[in-house]
Amino acid sequence: MLEIKNLHATVSGKEILKGVDLVVKPGEIHALMGQNGAGKSTLSNVLVGHPAYTVTEGSVTFNGKDLLSMTPDERSHEGLFLSFQQPVEIPGVSMVNFMRAALNAKRKYQGLEPLDAASFLKLMREKRKIVELDNKLANRSVNEGFSGGEKKRNEIFQMAMLEPTLSILDETDSGLDVDALRIVAEGFNKLRTPQTAAIVITHYQRLLDYLKPDVVHVLIDGRIVKTGGPELAVEIERRGFDWIKEEIA
Amino acid sequence: MTSVKQYIDFLHEQRPRLDACSLPLLNARRDAAASALVAGGFPSQKVERYRYTDVAAAFAPNYGIWLKDAGGAAGSALSDEDVACCQTHYGTLADVKADAIVALNTMLVDDLLVLHIPAGVSKSHPVQVTQTLRATAPLMQNRRMLIVAEAGAHVQVILNERADADQDFLVTQVTEVFVGPGAQVEFYDIESTHARFHRFHQFYADIAEEGRLTHASITLAGGLSRNQTDVRLSGEGGEVHLLGCAVTDGQQHVDNNTLIDHRAPGCVSRELYKYVVDQQSTGAFAGRVLVREAAQQTDSEEQNANLVCTDQARMWTQPMLEIYADDVKCSHGSTVGQLNADALFYMAQRGIGESEARTMLKQAFAAEVVAEIPLEALRQRLHAMIEKRFRSCEDCRLCK
Ligand SMILES: Nc1ncnc2c1ncn2[C@@H]1O[C@H](COP(=O)(O)OP(=O)(O)OP(=O)(O)O)[C@@H](O)[C@H]1O
Ligand SMILES: [Mg+2]
Repeated sequence: MLEIKNLHATVSGKEILKGVDLVVKPGEIHALMGQNGAGKSTLSNVLVGHPAYTVTEGSVTFNGKDLLSMTPDERSHEGLFLSFQQPVEIPGVSMVNFMRAALNAKRKYQGLEPLDAASFLKLMREKRKIVELDNKLANRSVNEGFSGGEKKRNEIFQMAMLEPTLSILDETDSGLDVDALRIVAEGFNKLRTPQTAAIVITHYQRLLDYLKPDVVHVLIDGRIVKTGGPELAVEIERRGFDWIKEEIA
Repeated sequence: MTSVKQYIDFLHEQRPRLDACSLPLLNARRDAAASALVAGGFPSQKVERYRYTDVAAAFAPNYGIWLKDAGGAAGSALSDEDVACCQTHYGTLADVKADAIVALNTMLVDDLLVLHIPAGVSKSHPVQVTQTLRATAPLMQNRRMLIVAEAGAHVQVILNERADADQDFLVTQVTEVFVGPGAQVEFYDIESTHARFHRFHQFYADIAEEGRLTHASITLAGGLSRNQTDVRLSGEGGEVHLLGCAVTDGQQHVDNNTLIDHRAPGCVSRELYKYVVDQQSTGAFAGRVLVREAAQQTDSEEQNANLVCTDQARMWTQPMLEIYADDVKCSHGSTVGQLNADALFYMAQRGIGESEARTMLKQAFAAEVVAEIPLEALRQRLHAMIEKRFRSCEDCRLCK
């Protein structure tokens, strides 16, 4: 589904990704761990086409297509979704209008008619239930005045609405209280199908307990230096990253 | 001075016709207005309040000047009381010596629209005045409105400015509003014209004690729009809300110049103007709040926020606060920014294409002013008009 080969990327002229290789197959969940500043969010941003980042080398194919030549909205239509580490507030744009525009843009891309108002609102209601997103939040401006946890919950709600095939969750667990984390993680699991996959960036074992990753990668200084099974995450939680750095030194 | 001359010549040629079809009240003021115009001429851009708009250039072309049918009766439907009301108020706020547009208007105007709301009367429906210009040659029109809301009266007025023909138009509008003690006036000025339309609106209001004025100036489309809004808070406990929203593109120019004059204690003023300036268009906002020595316990907030969408678009903003009283609460500020890049990217990630995302953000920005309008039905209409304004421009590629 996703194939990243020798990916190098810079931001403000500084090289952050220094040769990332990663293959994700349908049905898989990949955990991506690494210290602050290692380049995890940079990798997510590059994949979704953030204009601040420049790819200097390497390739990314997504379902057989050249991902890097697509605009950010095309990548979204093709089934790529990023749950942002820091979701953006958009004052004055209601969640309803925002979601309607997003969904109808995707439908247009797929050659479908826009959803009528009644079906759209019904869909909003159904998807809200999956992550137990308060109706009041759904009626406000996008993320405006949402608490940190509410913003993260809202990201997974949007994921539920757009039904992506590959989701990148960038520290979706940060900001969520214990109960909210369970609700959001269980909601995420309900959205999984054998055709969908995810890259889950996190610093903590707790989220992975719910999501049960197939593979765990460690990113250090812009490269994936170690890959293992779920036990690797447990070990990192216990021992940190220094032992891995020593291993590769 | 050449451009002044053509108007003076016109006055002399058409004087008999003008006088025959107009109220004696209007005729009585023409000479003084003409002298003031000759003495002062059109203001250059060195004159502070006209810094951002070239008036002389706008009035230089030779327009045909619209006059009422010579046979039209002059004020026959007015009661003695109404005539007395006009006598008392006409031309007392709009000073021919202080402003060339007022002088020109007073000199040539042949019709007066009067709204006289007696004490305690509350109009249940808004009064809508729609001006739609249609002509086959360049046309100038000079219009005048007088609103007198006596004690405790309440009136809502909507002025729709439109044009039906793709023609050069020049309009001067002078509006005088008297908000009596405890009276409430809402005045909504909505311009939706086109690139060849030039409009100068001089709006003057006086607010007596406990009176309240809400004024909104919404410029959705036009060529050159200059709106001057001068409000005097002359009685204790008065309140004024000035709202403004300008959406500009192409070669459009919108200049809003406001003065809120706090003359009495305990008055409240609120001012919010927002501009979305696109393509090569230009916007200007100058808002002066004057708090005189007598105006203790003044509570004033002024805000001007602007979105400049391209490198060629220009915005000038000049909030001015002048305080001579010591016990006051005043704030003012202005911002000039671009569309939020983080929001645009967030929307793109969710699949919303750039042009749609930009439209949504611009619309959201402008809608904040509309949200402040108390008249629900108008709010809905304006939201729809603003959406249409942004969308039809996105869809149409004529000027891109
Ligand atoms: N837009 C940017 N401009 C400048 N520097 C950037 C930008 N984005 C990322 N960086 C830098 O790139 C490096 C990697 O940052 P990144 O956000 O990818 O780290 P991360 O692995 O996600 O860290 P964390 O765990 O703290 O979220 C950091 O040194 C960061 O300061
Ligand atoms: Mg990060």
